[in-house]
Amino acid sequence: MLSSQPSSDKRGALMDLAYVKKLLKLLSESDADEIEIEEEGKRIRVAKHPAAAQPAGPSGAQIPLNGTVMMMAGTPTAVPAPAAGPAPAVVEPPPAQNLHEIRSPIVGTFYRAPAPDAAPFVQQGSPVEPGSVLCIVEAMKLMNEIESDVTGTIIKVLVENGQPVEYDQPLFLVEKS
Amino acid sequence: MFKKVLIANRGEIALRIIRVCRQFGIKTVAVYSQADRDSLHVRFADEAVCIGPPPSRESYLKIPRIIAAAEITGADAIHPGYGFLAENADFAEICTTSGIKFIGPTPEMISAMGDKVVAKETMKKAGVPIVPGSEGVVKEHEKALEIGRAIGFPLIIKAVAGGGGRGMRIVREEGEFDGSLKTAQHEAEQGFGNPDVYLEKYIVEPRHVEVQVFGDQHGNVIHFGERDCSVQRRHQKLVEESPSPIVDDELRGIMGDAAIKGCKAVNYENAGTVEFLVDKERNFYFMEMNTRIQVEHPVTEQVTGHDLIKLQLRVAAGERLPKKKIVQRGHAIECRINAEDPANNFRPSPGRITDFHMPGGFGVRVDTHAYAGYEVPSYYDSLIAKLVVFAQTREGAINKMSGALEEFVVEGIKTTIPFHREVMRNENFRSGKFDTGFLDTFEYEGGEG
Repeated sequence: MLSSQPSSDKRGALMDLAYVKKLLKLLSESDADEIEIEEEGKRIRVAKHPAAAQPAGPSGAQIPLNGTVMMMAGTPTAVPAPAAGPAPAVVEPPPAQNLHEIRSPIVGTFYRAPAPDAAPFVQQGSPVEPGSVLCIVEAMKLMNEIESDVTGTIIKVLVENGQPVEYDQPLFLVEKS
Repeated sequence: MFKKVLIANRGEIALRIIRVCRQFGIKTVAVYSQADRDSLHVRFADEAVCIGPPPSRESYLKIPRIIAAAEITGADAIHPGYGFLAENADFAEICTTSGIKFIGPTPEMISAMGDKVVAKETMKKAGVPIVPGSEGVVKEHEKALEIGRAIGFPLIIKAVAGGGGRGMRIVREEGEFDGSLKTAQHEAEQGFGNPDVYLEKYIVEPRHVEVQVFGDQHGNVIHFGERDCSVQRRHQKLVEESPSPIVDDELRGIMGDAAIKGCKAVNYENAGTVEFLVDKERNFYFMEMNTRIQVEHPVTEQVTGHDLIKLQLRVAAGERLPKKKIVQRGHAIECRINAEDPANNFRPSPGRITDFHMPGGFGVRVDTHAYAGYEVPSYYDSLIAKLVVFAQTREGAINKMSGALEEFVVEGIKTTIPFHREVMRNENFRSGKFDTGFLDTFEYEGGEG
């Protein structure tokens, strides 16, 4: 997989409580499971509970700070955050044999919609069948439409819009019907 | 200098290129097929992108995926290594139009030298001696036979799109000509998608002597001396050395000048090798030019003290070639260690390496991507290591190589190590009196080395 570069906060506000609150909000609103930031010897990592299967809360809910945020120079600290908010909730995954991964047949950049301002091809819950266009993977200025090879429902979108993908990288999780 | 280089290759050469990039502080991107997931070049690169399933056609030769990998990682240059897309003019062209620097010559130079007939013409015009032959492609059998008679037998039928020892057929006498021509044309069609063939005089007892050349983007062209690669099996090199036992300073000067003349005629850029055949009277004839870095480049590095991969990067980045005269000292030999069984007709021997111990010491170099636990895949060429030794004299180098081969342990698969041990003991090889027919009469004994 591609390694990603850790981002650094130019204001150096790692110790700022407001900043940490911002991180937690950012995490809850995204598909990511954790965020880790390192800057000038200090590191902070916020992660969702891996086992948490929380029901989706009202969109834009405030995330209360649970527990103490401990930060020591040079050591990463895990700050548990409830998996609430508009993040997709994986409630009781269905039996494994019904789940199908759609993988990328090419290398390129993943786009969820046909154009920057258009609606995404599919999202969680969308029904698909063989031939349904799921996304675009752009390579060398060519927009390649990736189609589903099964009939079912999109359970999870595994990749962020604009993210680079490699050959065979899983893009979507589909529950076959 | 480049910020990030994508290596469009695998195995030992990918690792070699990554090492050089490290020295410059250049970030590296490895591309790999699913069969190479655990390969060293993938582990040591800064970033890695999977580009396809195991077959080369579906991965290392897939131009769009490699370019896409460069785009998504932000690579500003691609090093093609050797083989794969290294001499693919289309690939070089696409790199350029995609804004990525192809570390090598331009697409035009690759095309010019890639067509063997055009290459000969170009060299001939530049005043480089060429092997007497047909002045181009031969098609109709009547005409071809006429030309064949003029050249004289024995002669050799070669595919225009061939190279690297493939697509060649020797015709010893006139009676065989017609049948051989038909077969050669058919084989060329099947093997390279192009049935065009040409004729050449067959040089008897030739030695394969090649000159390492380098051109920069400022019109300078220099050479780094020669390599003798006569120890070949079915036109595949197995042992290479520098300097050549039959080349003295005078001949080196003449051949080097000829090679440079040929390169200047096409404004050659970056690394290249001009291959010659040398006959018993030490007449030399241009055979073909390879517009890439070659497998055996380490022997030239050892005797000249120049890192050729480093120089490739420098030249591609616009720097000038060194002005100081290139001096050769000492003697270097390389043995290609392949995953093949010499006791069974060099049958490929892929599989898991269970034990791996490399030789070492002063003047012993091993370029390899193998390690204990590594699974040698069956999809690619069988080269797993290059053992290169350097000493003050040829005899010293042979002795050092023998010792190094004794120390080299590779278990779990068959390798050509025992075969190389016997070559080093062979009287003809030791005396320096051998030609490209050496291995045709070589009897591999096998058993304990």
